[in-house]
Amino acid sequence: MPKNLVVGQPIPRVDAVEKVTGRAVYGDDLRFSNLLHGKALRSPYAHAKILNINVTKAQKLPGVKAIVTGKDIPVLGGEALKDYPFLALDKARYVGEPVVAVAAVDEDIALEALDLIEVEYEELPALIDPLKAMEPNAPLIHEKLHTYEHIPIVRPVRNSNICHHVQFMKGDMDKAFDESDYVFEDTFTTQMVQHGAIEPHMAVAQVDPGGRITVWVTNDAPHRLRKDLAAALGIPLTKVRVALPPYMGGGFGGKGGLKVETLCIALATKTDDRPVKMVLTREEVFTSSLVRHPSIVQLKTGVKKDGIILAREATVIYDTGAYAEKGPTVCQQGCVAAVGPYKIPHVRVDGYCIYTNKPIAGAYRGYGHPQVAWAHESQMDIIAHKLGIDPVTIRLKNAVEEGDISPTGQQVLHSVGLKECIKKVAQNLDWTKPNKRNKGKGIACGYKNTKTPSGSSAIVKVSQDGSVEVLTSTVEIGQGAKTILSQMVAEELGVPLESITVATPDTDVTPYDASTTSSRSTFHMGNAVRKAAKDAREQLFEIASGLLGMETEDLRSEKGEIYSKDNPGSTLSFAETIKNQYGAGLDIIGKGSYYPLVEDGIGGMWSASSIFWMYGADYAEVEVDPETGQVKILRAIGAHDVGKAINPITCEGQIEGGMVHGIGPTLFEEMMVGERGDVLNPSFADYKMPTTLDIPEVTSLIVEAGHREGPWGAKGIGEMTTVPTAPAIANAIYDAIGVRIKDLPITPDKILSALRKKKLDG
Amino acid sequence: MTRLIQLEVNGEIHEVSVKANETLLDVIRYKLELTGTKKGCDTGQCGSCTILLDGKPVNSCLILAMEARGKEILTVEGLAKNGQLHPLQEAFVQEGAVQCGYCTPGMLLSAKALLDENPSPTEEEVKEAIAGNLCRCTGYVKIVTAILAGAEKMRG
Repeated sequence: MPKNLVVGQPIPRVDAVEKVTGRAVYGDDLRFSNLLHGKALRSPYAHAKILNINVTKAQKLPGVKAIVTGKDIPVLGGEALKDYPFLALDKARYVGEPVVAVAAVDEDIALEALDLIEVEYEELPALIDPLKAMEPNAPLIHEKLHTYEHIPIVRPVRNSNICHHVQFMKGDMDKAFDESDYVFEDTFTTQMVQHGAIEPHMAVAQVDPGGRITVWVTNDAPHRLRKDLAAALGIPLTKVRVALPPYMGGGFGGKGGLKVETLCIALATKTDDRPVKMVLTREEVFTSSLVRHPSIVQLKTGVKKDGIILAREATVIYDTGAYAEKGPTVCQQGCVAAVGPYKIPHVRVDGYCIYTNKPIAGAYRGYGHPQVAWAHESQMDIIAHKLGIDPVTIRLKNAVEEGDISPTGQQVLHSVGLKECIKKVAQNLDWTKPNKRNKGKGIACGYKNTKTPSGSSAIVKVSQDGSVEVLTSTVEIGQGAKTILSQMVAEELGVPLESITVATPDTDVTPYDASTTSSRSTFHMGNAVRKAAKDAREQLFEIASGLLGMETEDLRSEKGEIYSKDNPGSTLSFAETIKNQYGAGLDIIGKGSYYPLVEDGIGGMWSASSIFWMYGADYAEVEVDPETGQVKILRAIGAHDVGKAINPITCEGQIEGGMVHGIGPTLFEEMMVGERGDVLNPSFADYKMPTTLDIPEVTSLIVEAGHREGPWGAKGIGEMTTVPTAPAIANAIYDAIGVRIKDLPITPDKILSALRKKKLDG
Repeated sequence: MTRLIQLEVNGEIHEVSVKANETLLDVIRYKLELTGTKKGCDTGQCGSCTILLDGKPVNSCLILAMEARGKEILTVEGLAKNGQLHPLQEAFVQEGAVQCGYCTPGMLLSAKALLDENPSPTEEEVKEAIAGNLCRCTGYVKIVTAILAGAEKMRG
């Protein structure tokens, strides 16, 4: 095999120069003529009937062009479960839910109009605690839950606030617990967290006289959005165009699904072809976009004396807030991994996705996995300490390997770099060396699936001068997709990286892709662009074989030149090849699609088995101040199995970024919700994200357990990098001061009260 | 109330009509169409709107446009000269310090202000200087490396 010239190389990102010069265009940088500005009046109540809305005064305000309420567009949308109104219908279900929207000639007038609108509410009891919301006689947040359309895997429980219940069972639990030498039972919780992308959500919508809708929007899945909008509105897919800005300022899951676009569309139906723009304020991003599911995870684990796990039972509650959003599939995918990446013969998992009157929870880097990893990795250390086994050894003893059945029993695992990840981070550990006072070290691992099946299509277009355009709907959201897709096309087609342009996603132009989520792009879109590049290359070789008088199978291409492997000196450029055949001009169009097969019989989207799994392990070293309860993270090391690093720099960037992202929710990030459902800290001043002053020495390590179906063996990475961070830190804190915190975030007051309790207990 | 004022941005004088309550950020972005300066929170907490005002890094969302009269304003668009990237920009590209890029303009200007005052900063000083610029993608690791590399380049 010849060495790869581009794939696997640490090439600077193709979009970096645009970004450092300020030329990169983001959503709010797009310019429109005749633009109107939209603003939303939001519910002050967590749960309330809407009795009456009076917009008469606002309508009379000069400059106001349109006002809409839920009644104007009484439709329901949603990816997994269709429960989401474009604006509140009949009742509001969380503080911050849009009730009325106004479009005006400028933002000031739109805001003034909001003050003139009168809404009469009848407050209803608000359900804030998911456990109370699960009780049999709890008031219903969605009375019509049983009538909502949903994808096949979603199982709502009738007359309840449970919008999805998932169950996985394997083996004989009672017998296994009887046979265990020790049984451990612990409950762990995680808090509400915000994605914190620095760019706020925005959208511009325009409805033409024929009723065709165009949306320019910060959304991580243009084709999914088109499908969701068309389905909700009952119009053909081609009546909706979703066009993305060239760049997006981060997402981490927060920019998928129906967000601000629904309000813009509702308004644009009434503005006579004028585009309507909305940009969320930071406060609105906090209260009214998306959050990570708070969770409660109960684990019961039976082990033998030697540390081998016999049985593990998990009950997982994901608090999804007012609307399902992606909650049901977060619950589904998180629960598949709830018992950890271990060979466990007897398993039972029950997962519940619960409505409450709080901000909507959905996709968030890790998709339900950080919550379950927090539990299973904290408990692994509890078990290790009780049994007197090294935390590394106990994980290696139980860790899944190539060819094992997945812990919940759906599939045979392939491309499993877990043990190597654990060993790599453990090289930095010496458990025999005693800690310095109040210092400690910890390790944790985990795994993450990808939504399966899901499809990607791509077009690779070779123009007459040999330059190449890649048409893909993968979104450049910061992860480096443009760079690695360019690298793959350059490698497969044999062209210089500089000759490649990656188009901006636009459903009118770029072909179908499920979404830029679930760490799926490198694998799925990578396969699609590789096939498309191969198709284009084969067409070029077909022409060139005639011109060079060679067989196509003997031809090779490099740097845009075609040559025979037997005579590398005689070359024909792509441009000459095309010119010879199509002198008056034509493109060479290569096409590629990828759609994985699913092994298990659960069916529907998305299955419990995953086309690939990512594995990783984190190591953390901390120092705790027992006087103040402050934790300082001294070192963090992450090792992640990416299959094959298409670009080591972007992989390192994901590992470093993911670990630091993970530090925030471990130690201080928490969206505080009051008894009445209002977010108490909706700003970066009161909701602290990590700054440079919070970061330790960070090391990223790449493991490559190649995947037989991945492009060059590559899998994914983005989400996995935050999964083991919190438990690694918690385990280090335990190692430092001997207290175990089971509820995130690990704030100084929790540490101090745990230390006090430890002292009292002697 | 609207007034016609002059603003000096990246060495160029712009005559622009502004409202009394209009922020410098909004005027730079929406009236001068220099969209490289980003808006992340509009309340001075994220740092993505950082510009240099007479060489000092400031959150342009916290300053009224009127207050910037008679001062030198530098935005990200003014960093590269004659098509040649500033050494800090080069270092950000080379070191992989850019991911989504939304915090990048603010980071670059905070870093430039530091290096203009202190050409040989320590890692701790770099971290201090950009502590007001939030980044959710990179974990800051490669940003800090890039600023140190940029400093080295500038020292020659």
